[in-house]
Amino acid sequence: MASERCVERPWRAARVVVPDAAMTVTGDDRALVEASLAGDRSAFDTIVERHQRQVYQVCYRFMNNHEDAADLAQEVFVRAYRGLRGFKGQSTLATWLYRIAVNVSLNRVAVKSPAFEPLDRVERADRALEAADAAILREERARDVRAAIAQLPRKQRATLILRVYHELPHDQIAAILGSSVGAVKANFFHALANLKKRLDRR
Amino acid sequence: MKHLDESQLVDLAEGGLDAPAAEHVEECDACRARVALLREALTDAQTDERFEPSPLFWDHFSARVSDAIRGEEPLPEPPGWTTWLRNPATAWATTASIAILLMVGALWRATLNAPVFPTVTAPASNAAAAPPAADDVDRDDAWAMVRSAADGLAWEDVTAAGITAHPGSAEGVAMELTADERAELARLIESDMKGSGAS
Repeated sequence: MASERCVERPWRAARVVVPDAAMTVTGDDRALVEASLAGDRSAFDTIVERHQRQVYQVCYRFMNNHEDAADLAQEVFVRAYRGLRGFKGQSTLATWLYRIAVNVSLNRVAVKSPAFEPLDRVERADRALEAADAAILREERARDVRAAIAQLPRKQRATLILRVYHELPHDQIAAILGSSVGAVKANFFHALANLKKRLDRR
Repeated sequence: MKHLDESQLVDLAEGGLDAPAAEHVEECDACRARVALLREALTDAQTDERFEPSPLFWDHFSARVSDAIRGEEPLPEPPGWTTWLRNPATAWATTASIAILLMVGALWRATLNAPVFPTVTAPASNAAAAPPAADDVDRDDAWAMVRSAADGLAWEDVTAAGITAHPGSAEGVAMELTADERAELARLIESDMKGSGAS
């Protein structure tokens, strides 16, 4: 498994765990790709195991329910496998997979409105520690946030998800979305402003 | 006072340490309000915590993907724009086409820049003897004679003779004749008129 590192952001109270594979080029990934292309299925299994969480989380943020996110994450890896010869190592494997995940997710939400996860399906480890009322309020707020993010324009939505929930640096988001760092920051600015506007209306 | 741009506001909201921008925000109420709004939005976004599926899901997921790609092979690399040049026949054909285009271009340029020889104008007496232009019907003497001969004909006589021409069709036909053809037509009509005793 890829090593993990902790990143602390000033605007975040909690420490966030970010998979290291998402941030750096690994020769190991390149070797796994070459082995997969040579017909070694176990090499691709390793790629899946290494990146499945990040891919699933991107899909979950777009679809807002586990079933659709799982289906979509599988589709991402199938597409990645088919297009493996197109991976030239110009970006990290993580960035390449993020790009596929974002594109597949954006295409899916364009044709199918995601069904939001029912509140009772969401399991949280710390729920037992919270007072029941506070937990409900928290869930409602989270639901509002998800609904507001779902209404954002495509690029703003993708930028916000990758920045806030995946903690990716602006330049990696730019590489994933095929735009400049300036455009990513502008999209992020508008995403946050629109999110705030929508939440305040509720 | 120039306000901060979107990129600077985002950097500040995320805790970036741009000293001049931070100083500006201390003095500018508008920018300070915008940074505060961005920070509130970030905090709001964080209320939606990460959803983590059951650990068992990941074992199933790897198996699902493995099943889904069973029997599949990575697709061949999509052809780039230079791929077709790897075929020797295509490469030779392209080279030959480019060479021909270059030669045609060079010839065209040479023709374009060739010296223009002065044209010789014919004397006025010769111009009078020159045959009329092929499409200059009004100046054609032979056709004038045909036209004057036809002026004497009554339309009823022509129709009675079984010639069903539309108005203007004879003129149309004559317009399509060359000068030589019109001269030959005039000669035939003239000889016919002489034979019939018409003046």
